[in-house]
Amino acid sequence: MKHNLFLSWKFFLERKRQSLVATMGVIIGTAAFIVMSSMVNGFQNFFLKEALNINGHVKIMVEPTTDETEILREFYGEGLFEVLGYKPKEEKDSIRNYREIVRKYERDKNVVGITPHLVSNGVVIYGVKEKGATLVGIFPEKEERTLSLSEYLIYKRLEELEKDKNSVILGIKLAQELGIYEVGKKITLVAPSGEVYRLKVVDFLNTGITEIDKSRIYLHIKKLQDLLDKAGEVNEIVFKLRDYNLAEYYAKKLSVETGYKAESWQESFKNFLSIFKIQKIITNSVIFAILIVSGFGIFNIVMMTVLEKKRDIAILKAMGYDPKDIVLIFTLQGLIVGLLGGIIGNVVGFFILEWLETIKIEVEGIIRTQGFVLDRNPLYHAYGFIFAVLTSFLASFYPAYRASKFHPVEVFRSGG
Amino acid sequence: MGDEVILRAENIKKKVGDYEILKGVSIEVKRGEFLSIVGASGSGKSSLLYILGLLDKPTEGRVFLEGEEVDFKNEKRLSFLRNNKLGFIFQFHYLIPELSALENVMVPMLKKGISFEEAKERAFSVLKRLGLEGKESRKPYQLSGGEQQRVAIARAVANQPSIILADEPTGNLDSFNTRRVMEIFKELNQEGITILMVTHERELALETHRIVEMRDGKIIS
Repeated sequence: MKHNLFLSWKFFLERKRQSLVATMGVIIGTAAFIVMSSMVNGFQNFFLKEALNINGHVKIMVEPTTDETEILREFYGEGLFEVLGYKPKEEKDSIRNYREIVRKYERDKNVVGITPHLVSNGVVIYGVKEKGATLVGIFPEKEERTLSLSEYLIYKRLEELEKDKNSVILGIKLAQELGIYEVGKKITLVAPSGEVYRLKVVDFLNTGITEIDKSRIYLHIKKLQDLLDKAGEVNEIVFKLRDYNLAEYYAKKLSVETGYKAESWQESFKNFLSIFKIQKIITNSVIFAILIVSGFGIFNIVMMTVLEKKRDIAILKAMGYDPKDIVLIFTLQGLIVGLLGGIIGNVVGFFILEWLETIKIEVEGIIRTQGFVLDRNPLYHAYGFIFAVLTSFLASFYPAYRASKFHPVEVFRSGG
Repeated sequence: MGDEVILRAENIKKKVGDYEILKGVSIEVKRGEFLSIVGASGSGKSSLLYILGLLDKPTEGRVFLEGEEVDFKNEKRLSFLRNNKLGFIFQFHYLIPELSALENVMVPMLKKGISFEEAKERAFSVLKRLGLEGKESRKPYQLSGGEQQRVAIARAVANQPSIILADEPTGNLDSFNTRRVMEIFKELNQEGITILMVTHERELALETHRIVEMRDGKIIS
């Protein structure tokens, strides 16, 4: 082995320019893989972490009214029906036995916390500005135990909702759009019934997820029940599980056992998850393309070496080097490129990530951050290195195999 | 020179397509012998050398090296025999350009499993013997034609082979270097190394113990 490595190393060193170009390709490929993986997964993990923290893992909700034609068919059988319109019945909007459900599942070892909500839509008015908003009525203590809401409040004043039922927490983007930049301001809330209430802003919600921060208003559940004239009612129960991967299983289970619609976080965020999936496919395609290009770089240098070194391969065979040695010499040459490129690419990737972490820029899209959200997972470095070595091995194997097939006599007869 | 036959070929035939290059050649080389094969271009002398050197397979016939019948299908064994028992010298030196003179000489020794340090020491010693002291670290392009061929000879003898096979070893050298190479061959032969040299220069062949002449794929004398 050492004799093969000795020759591979010499071939690598003596062909400085080609070796450098091929190694650069692997360095770029490895560094790009690490940086892109950290950025894409950082963004996705951030979104999911925050979204799950604030929305829970599974929620039971009131099923939207089903197709009326189906209902008529249940009663009257097959026939010609046409529903021209309907009026939803009030009782369908709430989970009637929610206390029992909460009591029952609080004992489940996989359930970390349960918090009931009353959710509705409303219009918030401040001065001349008005915005549509999602009103979420909560039990502050239960909410805190289950979803750690305080973590996302600027002033950590969740208990204010308990102390003063006429207080609200505003999503920070919503507040900014209304022109509210400090607590203590009074907003006007218009309930779906058309009734108007004056409420005091006691805190701002800042999850970093734009969609939530620009639409959500938290208030005490009792206050919302009063506003909506739904005393004692809830229309959503949020569950936090010990393992978020159990969400789909629990959604099915809850749906069957409670008779209400249960939605896992995967279902709730399926649009985002689809986008993430596409994003990952695109990222992986780009990385794959970079690796292919660097692979071709290695293929090129090894193939050129092999073609230029026919004469040397022939003499090596004459000196007793067998085909396996020849394969090893040129595969090792590719592996040297892969190993060096993989190691240096890892270092370069590491320092690019370090640098990206220091950059302070306002990122605003699906999420809002003060810079790049990076997932500094050491596995990306390990994968980057493995991909570099694997690509190098695959790219150099074929030329090496071809080299091993050269017949020395044919080379000598052709004058080398 | 003893009576022990070190290399024997029986009824060697070699066909390439429809053309028969070797037409049933038999030859014996004794240990310690300095033998030359002469013949015009196309007579089949190099083809015979490649088969005797286990670089090419005969279409028919058998080759025995130190009493062992060579199995031309066993690539691993062929490589082992080439590395341990044979040394090659060609018309063109065929030195590896990326390696220094010293490293070129070390290459067959490293394959044999000799340690790097020992191979280096032995390569130094062989190069010194062939008058290349002080030029060990030079790359082939930094050496003259004669020096390159001497490095190639050093490489061929480095593993202390049973027999050296030389294919037109002076074909690319001037008269001064030709003489020098022939002197080296004679010295090596006197030390007991068997040499089989293919040449088209009859005057060089006359300096060897025995001349085998070939014509049209056959030995004629």
